[in-house]
Amino acid sequence: MEWRVIELESHDAYLNMGIDEALLEGIRDGTSPPTIRFYTWKPSAVSIGRFQSMNDEVNTERCKSLEIDCVRRITGGGAVYHDQKGEITYSVIAPEKMFPEGIRESYREICGWVINGLATIGIDAEFAPINDILVKGKKISGNAQTRRNGVLLQHGTILYDLDIRTMFGVLNISREKISDKMIKSVEERVTRVLNYSNVTQEGLYSALLSGFVRGKDYKIGRLTETEEKRANELSESVYKSKEWNFSR
Amino acid sequence: MRGSAKKKVTGGKLISIRVEFNGSIDKIEIMGDFFLHPEESISYIEESILNTRTDEPEDALAQRISNVAESKKIEMIGVTPEAIASTVKMAIRNGMESNRA
Repeated sequence: MEWRVIELESHDAYLNMGIDEALLEGIRDGTSPPTIRFYTWKPSAVSIGRFQSMNDEVNTERCKSLEIDCVRRITGGGAVYHDQKGEITYSVIAPEKMFPEGIRESYREICGWVINGLATIGIDAEFAPINDILVKGKKISGNAQTRRNGVLLQHGTILYDLDIRTMFGVLNISREKISDKMIKSVEERVTRVLNYSNVTQEGLYSALLSGFVRGKDYKIGRLTETEEKRANELSESVYKSKEWNFSR
Repeated sequence: MRGSAKKKVTGGKLISIRVEFNGSIDKIEIMGDFFLHPEESISYIEESILNTRTDEPEDALAQRISNVAESKKIEMIGVTPEAIASTVKMAIRNGMESNRA
């Protein structure tokens, strides 16, 4: 099956999540092709997992003053600070049947595409179940997957640069999580592409693209008008709403 | 009474529970960075815990969660029925202790 690849683009948090869900619906209805998209978050944003509490995880006052958007994802997993210039996010949305049946195995497959991309710029990364990618034992990429109506959606981020001060300021890091891993700080367990390569953000995108499309039939494309309209609707009605973002 | 507790599941994710109770559990919220498929099924898990007695043994509570997960075909990743049950119990204990204090 031919993939559509939507090249690196920037949207706000609400539209980014709206596009992912619009594509889930489009593939469910047979009107959208399997799609790989790459994007950044403009303005910078925090996304939280489906089951997290916004107020527990995020310093929303600080976000407001820094003009950082806060959004709840459709997928589980943890809170992520998406710095506009500090990372690249991807989404893979495709019929479930194109992937291994097991969720854990399909994480491994798609994370393998990220790992292949990083390898092209000389970064030796490895998959760390359940949903992380590590370089020298430090997390460089977090990933989250959902499946509904026969469609798989996996999105994930690859850290390029890391504004640790801002990240610390906007996320409430849980003591339990840190103590379990016997580490003192987030700084010690997270890394970034710039620590291992002097590639530009655009260069990282090219590397990831090559890793994702390897061995696939694909063409570069864009959203259809229908997809764009539905994504905007979801952005406004769901992802910008307090009911959704503060539901836990 | 109200209580809350957090627990990092060994080899898994963080789970956070908030309960309101008075002999039995009147309100419960299960939160955390785990994965549950389908995501909407979290409400079935929460419902299976609602109205249970606060002195129900932990393993019975875990069995209750496990049964609903099986009947509703819920896949849990990074969290287990046992971890949810033990965090619920911890939240109840925390609530009772802070009430005594």
